[in-house]
Amino acid sequence: MLLFLISCFSVILVSKSFFRPFGTWKRDMRMQASPWFLGEVSRFLISWSARSKAARGFLHFLTSSLKKNGNGKAENVMVEGLEGEEYTLLDLPDLALECILERLSPFQLCSMAAVCRSLSERCSSDHLWEKHMKQKWGRLVGNAAYQQWQCYIASRNRAKLQESKRGKGLLGYFSIFSDKMWNNRSRENEIVTEQRNSLPVDSVKAWYLAIETGKLRFPAQVYNRENGQVGFMLSCYDAELSYDSSTDTFIARYSAPGRRPTIEDNIEWNRIRAPAVDVPAHVLHVSDCLHDLKPGDHIEVQWRRNRDFPYGWWYGVVGHLESCTGQESHCQCHLNDSVVLEFKQYAPSSRWRQTIVNRRDHREVGNGADGFYGGIRKLCNENEISTWKSLWPTSTLE
Amino acid sequence: MIVLNSSDGATFEVEESVAVQSQTIKHMIEDNCADTSIPLPNVNGVTLARVLEYIKKHAEAKDDEEGLKSFDAEFVKVDQASLFEIILAANYLDIKGLLDLTCQTVADQIKDLTVEEVRAIFNIMNDFTPEEEAKLRNDHAWAFE
Repeated sequence: MLLFLISCFSVILVSKSFFRPFGTWKRDMRMQASPWFLGEVSRFLISWSARSKAARGFLHFLTSSLKKNGNGKAENVMVEGLEGEEYTLLDLPDLALECILERLSPFQLCSMAAVCRSLSERCSSDHLWEKHMKQKWGRLVGNAAYQQWQCYIASRNRAKLQESKRGKGLLGYFSIFSDKMWNNRSRENEIVTEQRNSLPVDSVKAWYLAIETGKLRFPAQVYNRENGQVGFMLSCYDAELSYDSSTDTFIARYSAPGRRPTIEDNIEWNRIRAPAVDVPAHVLHVSDCLHDLKPGDHIEVQWRRNRDFPYGWWYGVVGHLESCTGQESHCQCHLNDSVVLEFKQYAPSSRWRQTIVNRRDHREVGNGADGFYGGIRKLCNENEISTWKSLWPTSTLE
Repeated sequence: MIVLNSSDGATFEVEESVAVQSQTIKHMIEDNCADTSIPLPNVNGVTLARVLEYIKKHAEAKDDEEGLKSFDAEFVKVDQASLFEIILAANYLDIKGLLDLTCQTVADQIKDLTVEEVRAIFNIMNDFTPEEEAKLRNDHAWAFE
């Protein structure tokens, strides 16, 4: 079929006087060969190309030879359809083009950005990428991650500046000065072109890609760290996460005082969450729910071994005081200054089973042996509670 | 019944309840611009016929989800030029369902194409310098190794 088309093409080339033009051929580029036969062949091929891969290949050959024959000016070739109307993708109204681009995956958007300048701009718009950002990373990326991103941008900008300065030295400074004096306009054009074609460092697209490729680590929390190691069951620890797109999992770095960070990989999505409160891991959270707590409430409490370690968040339930029978109608525990925090994942005899805090003035309590219990947050969101329950250990801990 | 005139002089009759799927036509009717007929200078006869086929089917078989799905799938099996004409018409006539359907079709076509194939099929000229193009491909490869 391809051979047939090629021979057709050459026959038409040779014996053009035998053909009558169908419709008109409008173009912006001057052609060396006669216009009408190319129009004829192109029109035929374009309707073909939608179905035939071979025709697409031939059409590509045709358009690239048009490029070579033209006078070098970069403009879009317009081809007439059967009804005598022109069409290129870029001629579609904004709404329609947006409609199409909205339906592309991040991968395809990157691909489309390499097609031409106009598409490059459209495919990098914050509006399109905000949607993808929200969809994939919205759940995990909070204020802290955004701050991290801003720092990352600032450091990249600093590095770029230092690099350009380092490479030039005194002569470099002189050349920049002379450029400014004599070549202001052309330099400006260069800079504008460079800015236009490189990814704006602070765009949402850049942020998305930085996370997707694992180049940017962001702060988040990991449930049951270190693959459910018994010492961390039903806890959630802060970590620096990076994404591995090949396995669709995460790698976490847990900081530890005085030694290298512990690294865990292959962490699934269901074990990750954005930090629950805007408080770094070493900082005590100020509890604001103490007066409210009553038996049956689900809570998380900060706990650390000693003041050198970061806090983790541990899941528990508010329990009844020893003096209380546990009957709801007679329970007065919510009026008592003492609040019992129960960690039922531990056996009743375990020293981790429960702790008591004072609801009036609790900030941090503990000792070297049992560690330190810090800020408390009450869980009201059913999803959070069911997530903890889904991670319940299979056997009771000691 | 509403009478519609295409750009090339063809006339079509369609029930008002069906025609109002087009927000443009709906507003024209509401603004009393539709006493005799509605001129649609931006849509030719062939395309208008196709669009009317779509809105008629969607009006009469509103609750038949399966039927509409297969109708839609067949409806978009047209050549590139016609598909673009329908997109332009759906945009002009403001028919959301048709615009979504046709744009999704184009997006689905794009999904499996390389950069060169997109340029060839959608008649787009590469206006990057070789250096710019190399840099863009680098960014792309870096993004999705």
